[in-house]
Amino acid sequence: MSLLFRNRPSSASGAKKNNLSLTKRFVMFFVHNAQQAVASLGELTRNPIASLMTMAVLGLSLTLPATLYILVKNTDAVANEFQQASEITLFLRKDLSDTQIQTLLERLKLDSQLDAVRYISPEQGLADFKQRAGFGEALDYLTSNPLPPVVIATPGELFSDPTQAQRLLQNLEKQREIEFGKLDVQWLTRLQAMQRLVSDVFVGLALLLCLSALLIVGNTIRLNILSKREEIVIMKLVGATNAYIQRPFLYTGIWYGVVGGIIAWLATFLLVWWLSSSVIAITELYDGQFRLAGLSFNEMLVLWGIAIGLGLLGSYIAVRRHVLSIEPR
Amino acid sequence: MIKFDNVSKTYAGGHQALRQVNMHLQPGEMAFLTGHSGAGKSTMLKLISLMERPTAGHVFINGHDLNRIKPGQVPYVRRDIGMIFQDHRLLMDKTVFDNVALPLLIEGYSIQEARKRVQAALDKVGLLSKERHYPVMLSGGEQQRVGIARAVVTKPPLLLADEPTGNLDPKLSMDIIRLFEEFNAVGVSVLIATHDLGLIARLRYRTLTLKEGTMVDDGLQEPVV
Ligand SMILES: Nc1ncnc2c1ncn2[C@@H]1O[C@H](COP(=O)(O)OP(=O)(O)OP(=O)(O)O)[C@@H](O)[C@H]1O
Ligand SMILES: [Mg+2]
Repeated sequence: MSLLFRNRPSSASGAKKNNLSLTKRFVMFFVHNAQQAVASLGELTRNPIASLMTMAVLGLSLTLPATLYILVKNTDAVANEFQQASEITLFLRKDLSDTQIQTLLERLKLDSQLDAVRYISPEQGLADFKQRAGFGEALDYLTSNPLPPVVIATPGELFSDPTQAQRLLQNLEKQREIEFGKLDVQWLTRLQAMQRLVSDVFVGLALLLCLSALLIVGNTIRLNILSKREEIVIMKLVGATNAYIQRPFLYTGIWYGVVGGIIAWLATFLLVWWLSSSVIAITELYDGQFRLAGLSFNEMLVLWGIAIGLGLLGSYIAVRRHVLSIEPR
Repeated sequence: MIKFDNVSKTYAGGHQALRQVNMHLQPGEMAFLTGHSGAGKSTMLKLISLMERPTAGHVFINGHDLNRIKPGQVPYVRRDIGMIFQDHRLLMDKTVFDNVALPLLIEGYSIQEARKRVQAALDKVGLLSKERHYPVMLSGGEQQRVGIARAVVTKPPLLLADEPTGNLDPKLSMDIIRLFEEFNAVGVSVLIATHDLGLIARLRYRTLTLKEGTMVDDGLQEPVV
């Protein structure tokens, strides 16, 4: 309705729309927004290089945190495995007879504190060693097998954390047949510290990179607004509200996010693929049956959502500041 | 329709552009606003269209005090005013049709709803055949008429024109004025700022004269010669 002229019929579309049903108006709202979204997509193609560069910066800024996130997620998975099954390696005395070893094994298997017990004979150990370490030839020169018989025991769930496992180990070491045992607690605590470090780095880096993406989107939109200064002045002169003028720029920000998010997917995928070969090389050394897990479907959606959110927020900040400040003179 | 009540305007630099101006334009009236360059004509129009605010005094449109209009309401006031500029102020990368449709789209019309009105307005100014052209493909007079079509497409009750005939030859100027007369004939109030005294002399409309920010003649007291 007209503000100054009570009976002015010309803002009629308002009156006309009041007669439309709620659902129809709802549909109209979406159709209208979709039209504007498509229109602002058209705007992007007018300045393809600048648009693409902003999208790329947005996407690549998210790639590093996304990749770090994948690494954190995977080390978490690995660490959990270690924590639950922190194995105790028991080196037996070399002079034991087969029957003595069998009795020990029977006894250990009956021990309620242990979940699983696996025996590796000296011969088997040597064979593994030859295969794995790659100095098979050199080992051939040995006249006798230097390896002791080994039992690998997995503590039960209640005894799997580092301190409990340590106590269990001490008890086991008291047994006559066992020369000494080894529990890699240090490795475990180090791993945990590393994990914390990586996830702290991840959070810090993610925040910084999101902030820089925000600034870059904001700056591009700012330049966009300033280059349309004259157009904005004219629209204000013929009665456009700030909201009306802002909307296309907000859509532009959303499009930056939509495409930037896809770029982040692709770049993350490539980076993970590239990293996975070296990660597999590391984990092979630890006898891991390990595959680097990439982004899940939900995580991809979250990444996309973050990209779109950053695009929208960046443009919103620019638009708030600059559309308001442009006034016809 | 428009009333100035002791309006003064001092710009940021300290220059006093208007000094206690009083005037009253009746609904349906058509008048010229004249004066030397720098007299304050544009300033008066800017106060009406809320591009500037008065330093003192009140401007009323249809009885509404513009001092009471909040920034968020300014766009809605402008929708009631058709404004025409000397430099046309057209969107250069949009077609004639899109330029004229702009005020309707801003009010929330769909393109389909706007089409008939845009074509009627372009027909009125004799440019229907050029609706697909871009402003650069038009002459100065044609661009001015596109600006007029845009100003009247929403059928505002008030038209303001700042030097609408500035760069035009006398024949074209007269054509433009005739257009304003047609809108005035259907009840639109029209205020035209110009220093084209020759044009004013040929027409016998009320003429308000500014001199260094003071209203030296509001066109009412002057005895008919
Ligand atoms: N934004 C501004 N800031 C400072 N001074 C201004 C501003 N706009 C106008 N002025 C001054 O106010 C005075 C009146 O200006 P205005 O534009 O109203 O004159 P005008 O009558 O329209 O002149 P012209 O016929 O040249 O267009 C001038 O002296 C001008 O320098
Ligand atoms: Mg002027």
